[in-house]
Amino acid sequence: MKRRNLLKNAFFWLLGASLSWPLFAFVQKKRYRPPREQRISKNLKCGEFVVEPEFVLFETGNGPVAISRTCTHLGCRINYLEDKKIFLCPCHQSRFSQQGKYISGPAKKDLGTYKVAKMEDGQGFIVYLPA
Amino acid sequence: MKEITYGQIALTCLLLSLVTGFVVGYQYEVSAPFISTTAIEATLPFGWFWRSLHFWTSQGFVIFLCLHSFDTWQGMNIGQGKRLKIHWTIITITIPLGILALFSGYVLRFDGTGQAAGAIAEHLLLAVPWIGKALNRLFMAIGSEGLNRLYVVHILAGILCWALGTWYHTRTVRINFASFGLTTLFFIVFCMFIRAPIDLPLSHLHLIHGPWFFLGIQELLRHFSPLIAGILFPVIPVVTVAALPWIKRKESAYLILLMWTFAYAGVTLVGILRTG
Repeated sequence: MKRRNLLKNAFFWLLGASLSWPLFAFVQKKRYRPPREQRISKNLKCGEFVVEPEFVLFETGNGPVAISRTCTHLGCRINYLEDKKIFLCPCHQSRFSQQGKYISGPAKKDLGTYKVAKMEDGQGFIVYLPA
Repeated sequence: MKEITYGQIALTCLLLSLVTGFVVGYQYEVSAPFISTTAIEATLPFGWFWRSLHFWTSQGFVIFLCLHSFDTWQGMNIGQGKRLKIHWTIITITIPLGILALFSGYVLRFDGTGQAAGAIAEHLLLAVPWIGKALNRLFMAIGSEGLNRLYVVHILAGILCWALGTWYHTRTVRINFASFGLTTLFFIVFCMFIRAPIDLPLSHLHLIHGPWFFLGIQELLRHFSPLIAGILFPVIPVVTVAALPWIKRKESAYLILLMWTFAYAGVTLVGILRTG
């Protein structure tokens, strides 16, 4: 390779390498997002539930419980089957109890739960979701 | 009539896919992916046609690209000459790039299949040791960023396929009128009758079948860890094809590819037949 070409190549490689760190830093940075609050403006009796995209809210004898609909295997959105009282993942068929406890399938871990509070006026619930 | 080759059909499909991608992109909203996709499909004038053309030409690109690779390897002696070997290894990147563009397209419509495919892909990337988090931030990050990054990756993958396939691979776009005209005509007529799929809400309570090329991986993920089933297994043919010119005992590489193809076809069949 001629010296001129070598210098030209070295220049472009150096230029690319020096820009790679600012690019990597920019792309990798996670912007801050505040935690979210989801309001359910509905009163539930004991045994009733509400299905939301991210969770299922149950009113139990011991208070409201929000079970996450994110499968602990690979993150698919699981469905609550009311007739069987189980959660079922449609991707790889992991099963969980109504309380979110692992029953079978490749997931192996229990479903997550979210913090729930009753609204001050008593007319519904607030579910606290992560950012 | 001039000869119509797999490569020319693949390139025509890619050009049609890129053009129609920009057309549907005018009405697609990354912040409301499913709603805007259904609007394109159901309410906007000729939306179903542009979406169908984008979908089917993209499928056509990946299928004809694979046929083109197979055909080229058979017809040429790529094992000779260092320059040709490097060229082959670099150009094989277009296969995973094409599949990435295809896969991200499935996710971007964000119906039941799309949402599940996106969640799985994100978790698979995170399963890659050491660099998984960085790869996820680069390609997916759906959980924290929505579909923004995937939309960028989708467009970028298509453009990179075009850049590698024309600027690098052939230097100029060599495509004859017969190939271009007949391929375009075929897809236009085909898309007038066959729509691009989209799931209706709550249509998959018990079982979601992933994209056709992902069904085998979906089945393997039921039995093996994400790293083995979702990363290592699919990487085998890509690395083998890229390394083909450099391998001295080519028979062993052909055997690996043949065994992989049969194994993947087998698990895909199990995935297709699965009912719950």
